[in-house]
Amino acid sequence: MKLTAKFRTKTSEGGEGAGHPPSRAEAATGRSDDARFEDLLERALRIDVPPTGTVKRRPRVTWEWTRMALAAAVVLAVGLTFSKLQDAAYFGSDDLASDVMAHVRHEPAALVSTREAVSPAALDKVLQSAGARLASLDRPVTYIKLCPFRGQMVAHMAVQGQNGPVIVILLPEENVDVPMPIDEDGFVGTIVPLGAMGGSFAVVGEYAGDLQSIKDQVADAVRWRL
Amino acid sequence: MTKARSELELRRDFEALTRTYRDDLYRYAFWLSRDRQLADDVVQEALLRAWKGFETLKDPGAAKQWLIAIVRREHARYYERKRLATVDVADVEQHLEATTEDPELEDMRRAILGLDDQYREPLALQVLMGYSTREIAELTGLKSGAVLTRLHRARAQLRAAIGLTEADSAEPGK
Repeated sequence: MKLTAKFRTKTSEGGEGAGHPPSRAEAATGRSDDARFEDLLERALRIDVPPTGTVKRRPRVTWEWTRMALAAAVVLAVGLTFSKLQDAAYFGSDDLASDVMAHVRHEPAALVSTREAVSPAALDKVLQSAGARLASLDRPVTYIKLCPFRGQMVAHMAVQGQNGPVIVILLPEENVDVPMPIDEDGFVGTIVPLGAMGGSFAVVGEYAGDLQSIKDQVADAVRWRL
Repeated sequence: MTKARSELELRRDFEALTRTYRDDLYRYAFWLSRDRQLADDVVQEALLRAWKGFETLKDPGAAKQWLIAIVRREHARYYERKRLATVDVADVEQHLEATTEDPELEDMRRAILGLDDQYREPLALQVLMGYSTREIAELTGLKSGAVLTRLHRARAQLRAAIGLTEADSAEPGK
């Protein structure tokens, strides 16, 4: 029987006994219902917790990229069970490049190879929330998400290069004086300073070939919102 | 050598801490945000921050409260930046796994999702985290009386939502 039905039955009784103190049996029933209510409440709040990094994001497209994304998820899971704690850089507090790579590893869905571009509305929505504008690029943006990063919300994008996705993370609050190279776990890239405009952006991919052109395009296309 | 051992111990302690509390931190973040992906992000970011500051945590007994406060702050940061519009309960129900074998549970979860933030959070802290009224008050900056009132109203609304009329509608202290 449904608990709710039981509750309804109990509380709809009113005619004969209404206005009288509850009998011992009624009081006992009330306590029992309270206990069941509390039990149900606790069970309802204790939702299932997915293993780290397995929260459903975007569908993967090719098996090759699926395997890579799964591998990245496994790396992430292992990292977050702290067997990777030996690697201080993973949690390195002051190393922007390491934090960028930790974030890239945490977002395997962005590494999917696809030609399906995100909608302009979705792109604009995230960019607006991240305090950025972006003129159109000549390659499709296939992933966009607003992400927490070092205490700020930033736009995390994937731009499709000829050899697969290139991750672009816009960092309006991260000022760097000179380009910072990234070369870690098979990924290469750069954190690019934006000069007088302030801030920077990270460009990271598995193949160096696409990086330069995407980096140049983004550098021209990005503006911060006031 | 001594420093290395000390760091190893630190990491081992942090690993044990996160193993103990991660699930409940995730649940707390989910009931704050009503979004699984966001809850995952918030917890990951909060744990990164916690690790960075772990050395400064002097009282191991305060670790749970410390972690909860970091998750709460991280969640607030997200909302400050995102300036979220009103969330429709129908949109967030997709984040609950189907439990068709237990419709009561589904009814209750929908009802909790429908609670206002100001009622849902203290309820989660009390039931999930075992927080006392005083502890909830300290974390949220409310007075104990206000916490009691919110907890009472939260339960009253849930009872009404699942078809149980609150037998005793008197609020605490009234």
